[in-house]
Amino acid sequence: MGERAHVIAIDAMGGDHAPAEIVDGALQAAAELGVGILLIGREDTVGPLLPDAAAAGVQFEHAEDVVAMNEDAASAARRKKDSSLVRCAQAVREGRAQAMVGAGNTGATMAAALLRMGRVRGIARPAIAVPIPVPAGRHPQLLIDGGSTVDCTPEWLAQFARMGREYARTRLGVRDPTVGLLSNGEEPGKGDELRKKTFALLVDLPGFQGNVEGRDIMHGTVDVIVTDGFTGNVVLKTLEGALRAAVNLVFGVLDSTPEAKEAGKVLTPLLLDAASVLDPDETGGAVLLGIDGVCVISHGSSSARAIVNAVRVADECVEAGVVGRLKEAVNAG
Amino acid sequence: MPAETHVARGPIGPDEVLRILRERLAEILEIDESRITPASSFTEDLGADSLALIELVEALEEELGERTVGFTIDDEDLGDLHTVQEAVDYVVARLGT
Repeated sequence: MGERAHVIAIDAMGGDHAPAEIVDGALQAAAELGVGILLIGREDTVGPLLPDAAAAGVQFEHAEDVVAMNEDAASAARRKKDSSLVRCAQAVREGRAQAMVGAGNTGATMAAALLRMGRVRGIARPAIAVPIPVPAGRHPQLLIDGGSTVDCTPEWLAQFARMGREYARTRLGVRDPTVGLLSNGEEPGKGDELRKKTFALLVDLPGFQGNVEGRDIMHGTVDVIVTDGFTGNVVLKTLEGALRAAVNLVFGVLDSTPEAKEAGKVLTPLLLDAASVLDPDETGGAVLLGIDGVCVISHGSSSARAIVNAVRVADECVEAGVVGRLKEAVNAG
Repeated sequence: MPAETHVARGPIGPDEVLRILRERLAEILEIDESRITPASSFTEDLGADSLALIELVEALEEELGERTVGFTIDDEDLGDLHTVQEAVDYVVARLGT
């Protein structure tokens, strides 16, 4: 792949709009970002989507199997070694790629990355760091874990907090990131046993601000919000549903009367522009922290644009040495 | 069915399997090997959960697969392996040694 500094492996078969949108995104990423792309998928479906002439910086590899969205994560990662997903993780392990991007089965992506790339020593479980947009804020908040590890111990949540803090420093450029523990009240005694025990482990963590509540999400109260993967995933889906309802409400009003339609002609472009900050395709995917390699998980309905942005994040993580910095932070903690 | 035997570096007996298993498990759980005895229960004594066991199985398949062609561990059998000794016996039987 010539002079391209980093190669990003992309699972061409993962996602609701795979392989067409994924392939399109991969080609765009190679052209726009100057990264090398190792596109892995089935020849019979991906091949016809590739340009006749070899695209600069793009290499395609055939993989026989595909991991379905609803497949058992661990079993798929273990047994489908010739799947596009596992082959991406294997490419990173072998050094043929410096990072991987997947928009398919999240659990299987986590398992494949864990089993092929290994864990960072001192981290028991990986966690997904999801950037949450903060309108009018200087940078997004990080929600960790967005769904990687459903059942957590207090020790694991404390590890998530340390990783999240270092990642916020590296990715968001925040010198001294603040951290909050998601609970059902701000007072230290609030929460279930998991939250209470985690709180006790976090009190000495630099930047720890105590408990935060659901209403602090998207408001930039803290830079990093720590929770278990079950709660984190519920939060993400709740935000998605609530934002969709709010958008429908606003545009419903703008379509309700002749006067509102006139106003809509002025307001709609402004609203759409303002709402772009909330577009998940623009956030660039979520990084799986705690893995000894860079793995970016893009959302299931990723468009080509989402893949470009996920590749951008992967490339920036490699460039910034995110994994090495996380290792140092964990060892120092 | 035992794996097709293709021994590259000498036969793998129970002692060798135990050594490999303890080494890999200690790495995965980040604990001292001395804590791992044949009688140790994966979950109760060592705190290994299902993901840790899958990491162990992968590590064993990788290491033993290099020495015995076709060596695999069935996911369905994992639920029956409660102690280190049970896992050693299972692996030895699969190896056909």
